[in-house]
Amino acid sequence: MRNLLEFIINHSHLLLFLLLEVVAFLLITSRQSYPQSTVLTASNRVVASTNQTADDIASYFHLRKDNEDLNAEIGRLRQQVQDLQNQLEPITEHQNDSAAIYQYAHLRYRTIPAKVIDLTTNHQQNYLTLNKGALDGIAEGMGVISDKGIVGIVGRVNDRFALVVPIIHTATHLSARILKNGHLGFTNWNGHDSHHVDLMEVGRHISVSLGDSIVTSGLTPTFPEGLLIGVVDKVKLEEGDNYYTIRVNLSTDFHQLRYVQVLSNPSAASMRQLVDSVSVKNE
Amino acid sequence: MNNAAKHIIRLVVLILLQALLINNLHWLGIFHPSIYIIGLLLLPATLSRTAELFIGAAVGLIMDIIYSTAGAHMAACVAVAYFRPLLIHQLVQDANRIGTQVCSASIGTRQFIILASLMIALHQVLVLFLEAWSLDHTGWLILSALCSAGVTILLAWLYDRTQR
Repeated sequence: MRNLLEFIINHSHLLLFLLLEVVAFLLITSRQSYPQSTVLTASNRVVASTNQTADDIASYFHLRKDNEDLNAEIGRLRQQVQDLQNQLEPITEHQNDSAAIYQYAHLRYRTIPAKVIDLTTNHQQNYLTLNKGALDGIAEGMGVISDKGIVGIVGRVNDRFALVVPIIHTATHLSARILKNGHLGFTNWNGHDSHHVDLMEVGRHISVSLGDSIVTSGLTPTFPEGLLIGVVDKVKLEEGDNYYTIRVNLSTDFHQLRYVQVLSNPSAASMRQLVDSVSVKNE
Repeated sequence: MNNAAKHIIRLVVLILLQALLINNLHWLGIFHPSIYIIGLLLLPATLSRTAELFIGAAVGLIMDIIYSTAGAHMAACVAVAYFRPLLIHQLVQDANRIGTQVCSASIGTRQFIILASLMIALHQVLVLFLEAWSLDHTGWLILSALCSAGVTILLAWLYDRTQR
């Protein structure tokens, strides 16, 4: 006992060092198992508020660019209204049951506009903080898009802020399709190139070429089908490989990202419940 | 200025610079300098080791909250806080030269550069690998750690020169 006490006193610094390292590693490993439920994140109120203030100041320097973007967006929306009106005319003329279902499918998603107040692109595990939270209707698991394409998935929310796990996060894998032939794969980020992701599990018998659009598959309730993820800009097939190595140029430029839309899908919860009830039964 | 106040203000300023400036710069995706570590590097050599470990853990935890890295910065800062006094005593034979100031004027230019380089490199490698938590891109991570550490070492050296 005396020896033990002496040992502890003689090595108190080493023991304290080891204890603190153990605490740090527990934090790291807890985050690895639940990447979206970490307590210590930038959505923390103090950090998020500081970021908001810094962003408010910085946003004055973007006003001109923001105006141009908004104008461009208005132009696109006008065009879209026109196109939709053109589509609507024949439908209202010959209204039948299938048209009603078609319209309903589009109503499933509601969008919540939000501003990016903090964002990292140079880490292995990047995050975005949005200036809207649970009070604005954002919930965990919702999809996030920009006017250019996919951004990521809401990982964590508090009342006023939301933390988004973007597609450029090493743990993010989104179900994706090659638009021209509908073949499925999933995205995988290499951890350092914030302009590209890889498309995995595309078999060698499938035709893929440069410039092919890669879109969301619609197999999960997070995103509707057919949202642009990016465009194929490199295809490699090694001798003896069963799968292609496909590099996709992301349509969202994370370095320029300032405004996003959060997709709220009222039927997502009931879809997940259904899937969960089946997996519980199987166990 | 009061010595303790000087150290605290320097740490706070460096943490704010790191969080508000460095964090928002995108240096080709390869440079992620952790300049706040200079604040830990320059703490008095006479500081009690227990206090140094707790300061390191606290600063690391603050950076983890800012960066959403849950523990990576804390682990790296605690390691720096533990090894720094050991290294200073290894490098500096003349115990009289180990005072409150850790700078090239007190411990010698060569010793200061070795100390700064080893501590900054240790911190940078630990942060990047713990954050990544995989060995998938080891080559890239090592390159990134060395580039980032290079920038931080340069800044530490420049800061030291302004203090002469």
